[in-house]
Amino acid sequence: MEVKLHDIGEGMTEAEINCFLVKPGDAVKADDPLVEVQTDKMTAEIPAPRAGIIKEFKVEPGETITVGTTILILEASGHDGMEKVKVTSHPANSHKLNEPLQSFASFKGKRVLASPFTRKIARENSIDIENITGTGPAGRILDEDIYQYLASGQSKPDPAEQEPAVSMDTILSPPAEKGIIPFRGRRKQIARKMAQSLYTIPHCTHFEEIDVTELITFRKELKNQNQNISATAFFLKALSICLKEFPVFNAVLHEEKEEIHLASVHHIGIAVDTDEGLIVPVIKHVENKTIREIHAEMKQLTEKAVENKLSVKEISGGTFTISNVGPLGGSFGATPIIQHPQTALVSFHKTKKLPVVTDDDQIVIRSMMNISMSFDHRVADGATAVRFTNRFAELIKNPKMLVLEMV
Amino acid sequence: MVVGELAHERDVIIIGGGPGGYHAAIRAAQLGRSVTLVEQDQLGGICLNKGCIPSKILTQSAEKFTSFLEGENWGLEGGDISFNFNKLQQYKQKKIEQLRTGVEALCKANKIEILNGSAFFLSEDKVGIEKGDKFDVFRFRNAIIATGGTPEKPPWTRELSELVFDQHSISDLSEIPDKLLIYGSDYIALEIGMAFQALGSKVTMILDDGKEDFDFDQSICRELKRILKKKKIDVVRNSEVLELQFKEDMFTVTFELKGKIETISGTHLFVSTTIRPNTNQLGLSRIGVEQCAAGFIKVDAQSRTTQKHIFAVGDVTEGPALAVKAIKQGKTAAEAIAGIQSQSDFHFIPIVAHTQPAIASAGLTEKEAINLGNDIEIGQFSLSANGFSTLSGKKEGFIKVISCKEKQVLLGIHMVGTGAIELISAGITALEMAARDEDLIFPNYPHPSVNEGLLEAVEALRNQAIHIPPKSINEQKLKV
Repeated sequence: MEVKLHDIGEGMTEAEINCFLVKPGDAVKADDPLVEVQTDKMTAEIPAPRAGIIKEFKVEPGETITVGTTILILEASGHDGMEKVKVTSHPANSHKLNEPLQSFASFKGKRVLASPFTRKIARENSIDIENITGTGPAGRILDEDIYQYLASGQSKPDPAEQEPAVSMDTILSPPAEKGIIPFRGRRKQIARKMAQSLYTIPHCTHFEEIDVTELITFRKELKNQNQNISATAFFLKALSICLKEFPVFNAVLHEEKEEIHLASVHHIGIAVDTDEGLIVPVIKHVENKTIREIHAEMKQLTEKAVENKLSVKEISGGTFTISNVGPLGGSFGATPIIQHPQTALVSFHKTKKLPVVTDDDQIVIRSMMNISMSFDHRVADGATAVRFTNRFAELIKNPKMLVLEMV
Repeated sequence: MVVGELAHERDVIIIGGGPGGYHAAIRAAQLGRSVTLVEQDQLGGICLNKGCIPSKILTQSAEKFTSFLEGENWGLEGGDISFNFNKLQQYKQKKIEQLRTGVEALCKANKIEILNGSAFFLSEDKVGIEKGDKFDVFRFRNAIIATGGTPEKPPWTRELSELVFDQHSISDLSEIPDKLLIYGSDYIALEIGMAFQALGSKVTMILDDGKEDFDFDQSICRELKRILKKKKIDVVRNSEVLELQFKEDMFTVTFELKGKIETISGTHLFVSTTIRPNTNQLGLSRIGVEQCAAGFIKVDAQSRTTQKHIFAVGDVTEGPALAVKAIKQGKTAAEAIAGIQSQSDFHFIPIVAHTQPAIASAGLTEKEAINLGNDIEIGQFSLSANGFSTLSGKKEGFIKVISCKEKQVLLGIHMVGTGAIELISAGITALEMAARDEDLIFPNYPHPSVNEGLLEAVEALRNQAIHIPPKSINEQKLKV
């Protein structure tokens, strides 16, 4: 029989063959996984519809196929792997009403190698545990596997929120000169999101130079008071103030409805570079939080990101995104790609000491930082963006100004 | 019948107060829901009033009788022992009432409203409850159907059906049958057979549906064969019953065995029946709750029916008619109603028989494991090598552990022996945790106790059971 790619849900119409889990000549039982496929939403295993022997493959790994395409040929084998154990002789005249139901073999589904507690975690997060690949011995599913699955965003139903499409091309390590990096799975999903964003949104990137000398001094003073607050926390607060004044950058364009929806909250995503790849945890309600709260939450989310323990909640719902590539050094500007369907994104670059001419024509040494702000030119114009960054520059140049905005 | 215009408003209505229903009721109440439990007969259902509990009083009685007879070994001397069935019936009534009072008190303490009457659905959110001339309509937010099942005797008993005992009526018997015929092969048939044998009946078992053996792991079946032979309980296998007659206070069963027609007679006949779901009177088709061909209500792992706000638990749903299933489903349904992501899973539902010796089993049998393509290892330990079993004179039986070599995961645990039913829980926990041999070998076991038998059975997987001599280990390997 031909084993075809059937609709594995979520309205998917095509999938990419990740790898085969069997090889021609293998004997398989019904429900044995045959092939792993990847859609833009999930990784799934196609199981054997019945017991048999793998005859030949009709597609190759890496190929993208549509629903209905034949994946492989399965030759039916003599015995069905699920054959009933019990010996049933000639039918007796006492027909057992519920006999097929009383047979435990049919009553039991597929066993999941996970402890009841672990299974509960999956259920509580609305995850079908059978979609999870266990990393424990012999494929046992561990608590961590579920958290990892959650953090990877694979369980998200909305593709827009699934893989953060952030302009992190600068911080993603360039491909090694030797060897081949498979362009599949997550990497490919990031690519798709980037392309989607760039092809739909007419990007405009605007650069600005920010004087952070006072902020550095202020942070030093705070440090002497044992208050260690990162610069990014100040940036976030300042951005939130700017977003309040320029809400158009905290919006989603619904082109078909001919409406721009202004978000009422400031949920700001922070791009974090991890070993697993880029991830964007979101600080919710920045507008209602103190700088100290923002700092604490950011620290916590970043740690979680590095440990791969972010929940879906923590990486979704963003209305605006920042990326602080300053600590990586080097870069003085970029043209970041907006996280579709958001409207804008700001990158912070390395702070350098530079000679600056002051208003009274003196040359002084100031700490200067560049920012790059990409915005959707359908939604806002360059002038608005300049006003936005001007306001931001003003707040950071003189951080005491932030006090005036305290609520 | 006049359908009143006024519907009483209720939150959760549970139809049926058996183990599934009352567990659901209490759990829902614990989770803050307001619960109304409708029962047409007595709280506790079949399990408490007619099934599990009464039959266990019988099996316990038989066990005590047996140990009385063994008393001499323990230095107990006395006159002859006689058995007074009436006293046992009185004791049974007392215990049932005691347990039922307990359930009633618990319901009361959980502020569960108990309504007496029979219920049926009028629409997707309304039930009518009828009691004599009284009829009321209740509107509910969620409903749980826990109406249980009714035993159905095989067709060949039909005309004499009233005289034939089933799993409910057998517990009302107040005499020891002289010659008891048993038709069936499940745990109930074995319990009834062994209990009455112990109390003095001559017992013959006819395996139902032409079966060759009991529904247990092959090793248990082998051990059962030996035990039944020793108890002089005859077993008729591979037979097809053709006819039943009743003449001069004697039942005669005619059956075909290997092409020959044979007959067997007895003073009493017990049949372990199939269960028909109690759904006919519920009006389910009216409200879009789907049933399978045999009438069982289709539910998912949360016990949710095809109507998302209506649940069904226990014997009225597909699967084995066991209280353990009803209890789990009842709690799961209540939790689902309260918005908790609960689930029932019956991979490791224990099958137990309170026989002498007891039988307990969970997970895959050897055959099932092999047929599912597992490369298996078997560890088996005979209780005759267990210290406590020996000293207490209960040396019969064994513990068998089946493990998957490749995945290093336990697949099934099967036991025959005194203490097996209490001990199987340790095995079930291990199975649920996807345990490997070390997970059961590492812990300390109480000494001396039958528990050590489980330890040694798992150690036998590694050929490291202390109380199995090396030679025997080799033999065992060959056997596998």
